[in-house]
Amino acid sequence: MLPRPYLVVFAQAHEEFRVPELRSVAELHDFPLCIPDDFDPSRPFGVLALEQEVHVQLLARRCILIKSVYELCARGRTYEEVHERNRASRHLWEKYIPNTSFKFVVNGFNHSISKARQREIIEEFSYMGFMGRIDLRSPEITMGCFEEYWDVRCATGNNHKGTGGIREIFFGRLLEQGSARPLIRTFDVKKRQYFGNTSMEAEISLLMANQTLASPGKLIYDPFIGTGSLAYTSAHFGALVFGSDIDGRQMRGKDAQPGIMGAAAQYGVRRRILDLCTFDITRNPWRCGGLFDAIITDPPYGVRAGAKRLGRKEGHACNPAPPLEPRADGQPCIPPTKPYELSALATDLVALARYLLKPGGRLVFFLPTVIDEYEELDLDSMLCDGMQVIANSLQDFGAWGRRLITIRKTTSRLYPPPTFDARRAVHIGDTEGEGDSDIPIHVPAHRDFREKYFQGFKKPTSDA
Amino acid sequence: MVRLITHNLLACHAKGCTTNNFPLKLTDIKLALREADFNPDFLRGFLPRIEWDALVQASREIGDTSLPSERPEMLDDDLLKQLHRVLLEASHSHEGSMTCPNCGHVYPISNGIPNMLLAEHEIG
Repeated sequence: MLPRPYLVVFAQAHEEFRVPELRSVAELHDFPLCIPDDFDPSRPFGVLALEQEVHVQLLARRCILIKSVYELCARGRTYEEVHERNRASRHLWEKYIPNTSFKFVVNGFNHSISKARQREIIEEFSYMGFMGRIDLRSPEITMGCFEEYWDVRCATGNNHKGTGGIREIFFGRLLEQGSARPLIRTFDVKKRQYFGNTSMEAEISLLMANQTLASPGKLIYDPFIGTGSLAYTSAHFGALVFGSDIDGRQMRGKDAQPGIMGAAAQYGVRRRILDLCTFDITRNPWRCGGLFDAIITDPPYGVRAGAKRLGRKEGHACNPAPPLEPRADGQPCIPPTKPYELSALATDLVALARYLLKPGGRLVFFLPTVIDEYEELDLDSMLCDGMQVIANSLQDFGAWGRRLITIRKTTSRLYPPPTFDARRAVHIGDTEGEGDSDIPIHVPAHRDFREKYFQGFKKPTSDA
Repeated sequence: MVRLITHNLLACHAKGCTTNNFPLKLTDIKLALREADFNPDFLRGFLPRIEWDALVQASREIGDTSLPSERPEMLDDDLLKQLHRVLLEASHSHEGSMTCPNCGHVYPISNGIPNMLLAEHEIG
């Protein structure tokens, strides 16, 4: 079938996540998704070309950022254009003329439209000649008209002749309300039985689970599982989840039943949480690689909780002797840990994912970064052969932000487990002796993120 | 509370412990069943990753003799159900430990969570 145009109405949040999510859900359900060249992800209305109406349903039932999807009848810069094209699209709506109950909705973006004006707009469609009953509660069809105004950062009141001016008008028939979006309330952290101060918010947890292509029969691993935020949403979509963390207290909580298991039971996904384990990813007990369909994680990057790995801080000698006595209370001894610098962690995580993922598997994680300093090279500096970035979406917090990175394992070659040998890229500037200059190593903006955060992202003042 | 799939994937990783470090020996076994989703595709896909001998040995230790001692070529419906029960639903302990057959490191299990951290002298 030839692809036909469908109007997607997006939630007004996380603009850069819209296209990656559409592509992921289409890939999950294995159907072609054509995103036209003029598709602008910063706009709340997007027109997609899809081959089958069932594809529209699949998108609307899984994409967190879709509010609703319409069969597009007409679009234009003026109402004259819209009406002319809508008349030409008569074949799309003439079957509803005789006796189908209906309603019209009119909505503005960047602009509110008065009730009186809404009525005027609806009247102008009277040439369609719908003879069915008007039913505002449960109509058989809903026709939607959307006015998109240019973004003007001021209130325009109720006057439809606002200062922004109409950018484009869309008109179509409602096919499906986005039914994944209500999950944001289901997974609301505030209503969760067990959470911590760094638990990931529900909407992002759901978006991340979609990026992993979570579905029944998949095995997904979170190596920094913390309080489990990403496990619940991945498991909700049917995947089996394995979690580990260097700090068992995060997973466990105070009760006899581990906190994560309690919250998983609340969401009805306890049977999909396989097991939780305490270990450091740089000293991991995985017997072999190629195990997981996806790795989903929010690594600790040091603002509220810094990343740690086993070992002593620099300048402190390791104690090579085994402990003489077990602790008196029978608890296992707690080995010393040292800070795990973020750019080293990111590089290690990609290498670990290449080892642990199946071919075609995905690594989905957040990377915090300094907005003004970010360069695309930052990502290249942590990649390795066989790992390819397929999506990179910024969540902007002002001076800093975090990027949701999706990486696909494109190789089926077998790699040995990574060595995690802290190959810290040398700071340009503090190489010993200026003569033996190697190729300058790129220092990514997320390097030493924690320090930069607490210095308020000020640039160093010296020009040395 | 630790499922046999987990037991089948964890090896001792102490410094220098690279041979005979799998499977870890179970102690203080208390058999329990935890439900899990039955998914034949997952089981078929995961079969090549299983260390079959280790799974059979562990399942016998916890008192389940349903699995054949040779890795099956094909999984019929009965075998799928048995594998599902042993691999995903049977769990060997909530409080106990797993011991490395080579170096003797004891990995304690508390509240169903194995502690696979290494001591300082084991990380090198």
